[in-house]
Amino acid sequence: MVAIAAGIAVGLAGLASGWAEKDVGTAAVGAMAENEKNFGKGLVLMVIPETIVIFGLVIAILLWTKMGTA
Amino acid sequence: MLLPEQMAKILIVGSKDKLKDTIEELYRLEKVHPIDFSAEEEGFTLGSPLPEASETSQKLLKLRAVSKDLAVVDKPIKDKVAAERIHTEIDEALITLEQEIRGAIETRDRIRNRKHDLENSKKLLEPFVPLGIDIDLYRGYESIAVFTGYVSTDPEPVLNEALKNYELFKSDENDLIALFVAKAEAPEAQRLLVQEGFVDLPAPQGKGSPSEAVKAIDAETEALDKALSDAEEKVTKLREKHEAFILASDEELSIQVEKAEFPLRAGATAHAFAIDAWVPSSSLEAVQASLMSKIGDDIHIEVVEEKVTRKEHIHEEEVAPGVREEHVKEEPPSKLTAKKPVSMFTHLTEMISVPMYGEIDPTNILAITFPLFFGLMVGDVAYGLGFMILGWIGFRHVRSDDWKTISAMLFFGGLWALIFGLFFFGEAFGMHFAPQWSAGASHTLYPYGDELSWSSMLQTNLTINLGPLPFGIYNKLNDVKMLLYIAIWIGIAHLFIGYCLGVYNETIRHGFKHAFMHKVSWLLILLGGAFLLPYVVDLLILSLPVGLLDYRLIVGIVFLLIGIILAFRAEGGQSILELPGLLSNVVSYTRLTAIGMAKAGMALAFNMIAFEMIGPAGGIAAIGAMAIFAIGHLMIFVLAVLSAGIHGIRLHYVELFQKFFTGGGSKFDPLRVVRKYTSER
Repeated sequence: MVAIAAGIAVGLAGLASGWAEKDVGTAAVGAMAENEKNFGKGLVLMVIPETIVIFGLVIAILLWTKMGTA
Repeated sequence: MLLPEQMAKILIVGSKDKLKDTIEELYRLEKVHPIDFSAEEEGFTLGSPLPEASETSQKLLKLRAVSKDLAVVDKPIKDKVAAERIHTEIDEALITLEQEIRGAIETRDRIRNRKHDLENSKKLLEPFVPLGIDIDLYRGYESIAVFTGYVSTDPEPVLNEALKNYELFKSDENDLIALFVAKAEAPEAQRLLVQEGFVDLPAPQGKGSPSEAVKAIDAETEALDKALSDAEEKVTKLREKHEAFILASDEELSIQVEKAEFPLRAGATAHAFAIDAWVPSSSLEAVQASLMSKIGDDIHIEVVEEKVTRKEHIHEEEVAPGVREEHVKEEPPSKLTAKKPVSMFTHLTEMISVPMYGEIDPTNILAITFPLFFGLMVGDVAYGLGFMILGWIGFRHVRSDDWKTISAMLFFGGLWALIFGLFFFGEAFGMHFAPQWSAGASHTLYPYGDELSWSSMLQTNLTINLGPLPFGIYNKLNDVKMLLYIAIWIGIAHLFIGYCLGVYNETIRHGFKHAFMHKVSWLLILLGGAFLLPYVVDLLILSLPVGLLDYRLIVGIVFLLIGIILAFRAEGGQSILELPGLLSNVVSYTRLTAIGMAKAGMALAFNMIAFEMIGPAGGIAAIGAMAIFAIGHLMIFVLAVLSAGIHGIRLHYVELFQKFFTGGGSKFDPLRVVRKYTSER
C-alpha cells in the first residue's frame, strides 16, 4: 500500500507539473522567438511548476522510508 | 567590490568645430558612456552628423554590395590591415573592385539564368516526348482544334462514341493525350474530356521532334555546367584575393560612420554641442585631464555629480494645480566589478537581467554557491573528474560567452563534485569505496562487504578515516531522510544570505527603514521557521516526546509573529499569501540531494547489471558488461550536466534572486572601437 501511495504521489505530481510546464513552455518559446533576451526569464518561469514534482518526490521518499518500519 | 562601480555624471560643452576631435578623444579613452540626448531641453536640438558621414556611408554601401556579390563572410584573417592604408586606398579600391568583379559576377549570373531557362523549357518538353509528334504540329490549324493535357482515365471509348472526326495520341501510360478534333466538334470534345478528369497542359513552342529538342538542351546544359564552374571558380578566386581587404574596410568604414553619426546622440545649438555622459568616478580626473590637454580651452567639462548616489529617489513635482508628477532619477549604467573567477559567471546573471547601479551584483554569490550545488547534486569522484577535464578543455578552446560559462560551471562544479564525492559520499561511478554490508550480513564472512563496492571489487578494504574527515559520511540511498534534512538546512542558509543581501540593497536604495519593513520582516519569518523545523522533525518524524514549552517552539513562533506583522504592515495582505511561497522555496532545495539520489539509483542499476548479473559469466559477457557499464555511465554523466546544471541555476534564479535582486539596469557601454580586421597604425 505504501509503495502504491508513493508511486501515486510522485506520478501525479509529475503529471501535474508536466501539464503546467507545457503551457508555460509554449509561451516562453513564443516570447523567446520574439526576443532572444527573454531566455533567462523564460527559463525561470518555465521551471516554477517543477517545484510541484519535487514536493511529490519528497513525500514519496518519506513514504518509502516508512516502508521498512511499517 | 560587490556593487557596480561608482559613477560620475559629466556634461561636455564646446564649440562645434571641436566636436570631431572631442569624439575621437572620447572613443580613445574608452571610459565614457554617453547619455542619449532627449530633445526636450529648451534651446537645444539633436545634433546633425559630421559632414563626412554621408560620403562614408555611400562608400560603405558600395563596399557591402561588392561584399554581398562575392558572398564574403566573417572569418578570421591572417594579417590585420592598417587603418591608414584603407583610408588612402579605399576610393581607388572601390572602383577597381567594382570593375574587376562586375565582369565575373555578370558572366556567372548570365550562365545561371540561361541554365535556369533551359531547365524550364526541358520541363515543358519532357512530357511530350512519348507522344512523338513534332512540336510545330501542335498549332497553326484553321479547321482543327488541339487539346493537350493529362487525363485520369483513358478517354478513347467515350470519344469514339461521340466524335466523328478526331485523332487521339496517347502516351504509353495513357495519362498524357493529344487530341486533334474538327473545330465544329471541339466544344463537345472539351466537355467529354473534362468529364474524364482532363487537366490542360499547353504544348511547348518551337520546332522539330521534342526528343531532339531535349537532347539539344542536355548538350547545352552540359557545356553551361562547365562554364559555370569556371565562372564560379573565378569568383571564388576574386573573393580569396580581396576578402581580407573587404572585411577590414567594412570594419573601418563602419567605425568611421559610427563616429560621424555620434552627434545624433548629443545636443546642439547653432554653434555649440553638449554631451551628457557617465564616467566611472575613479577615471573622472584622467578623463578631464586628457580632454583638456588634447582639445584645450575650447571645451568645458562640467561635473554634474561627482559620485552619483545609489539611492533611488523619486521626487514629486507639481506640474499643474493639484496634479503631481513623479520623476524617477536617471539610473546610471552598471559597470560590474567582479574579477575572475567570479566574472566567469556574469553571463548567467545577465541572462536574467543586468544588476542596477544601486544593488549588489548577484554574480558574487552565484559564483560561489552555483558550482557548490552542482557538485552536491553530482557528488561522485569519477564524474567530478570528468567534468573538470571537460571544463579545462573548454577554457582553452571555446570562445562564445555561453560556452565559456558552461566550461566554468563544469570545471568548478566538477571540483566540488570531486570533493563531495570523496569526503561526503565516498563514491566513484555510483559505487562506494568502503565495504557495504546489507542488513544482518556477517562482517566476518564477508570482510569486504556483501554488496557491490570498490572494496568488494578490488578485495581490499578501502575504508579510510582521516580523523574528522572519513571517506563517505553519508550513503545517497540509505541516509535519505538525513540528506533531505541537510538539503533543507542548506536552503535556509542560502535564503538567509539572500535576505541579508536584500536588506543591504534596500538600505542603499531606499534607506534602512524601508529595508527593515520589507526584508528584515521576511528574515525573521525565515528564522522563525528555522527554529520550528527541528521541533517539527522531532515531533512528527522522529516521534520524540517534545513539550509545548520547548524553547524552539516559543522562539520560532515569536519570530514568525513579529515577522508576519512587519511584513503585513509593509506589504499588506499580499504578504500573508506569500508565506506558503517561502515554505515551498525552502522545500525546493530538497532537490539538491533528491537529484543525487535519483542518479545514484540509476548508477546502482547499471553497476548491478554489469558486475553482478552479466560480468561474472566471463568471456564475451565480460566485454558486454564493460559496454553496459560505459554506456550507462556516459548516459548518467550527460544527464548530470543537464539536471544538475539546470536545477542548480534554477535554485538561484527562482529562489535566491527573488529575495534581493531587482535587475533591469543597463550595462556600462563606453564609446570605444573594437577592431577585428584592422590595426590602428
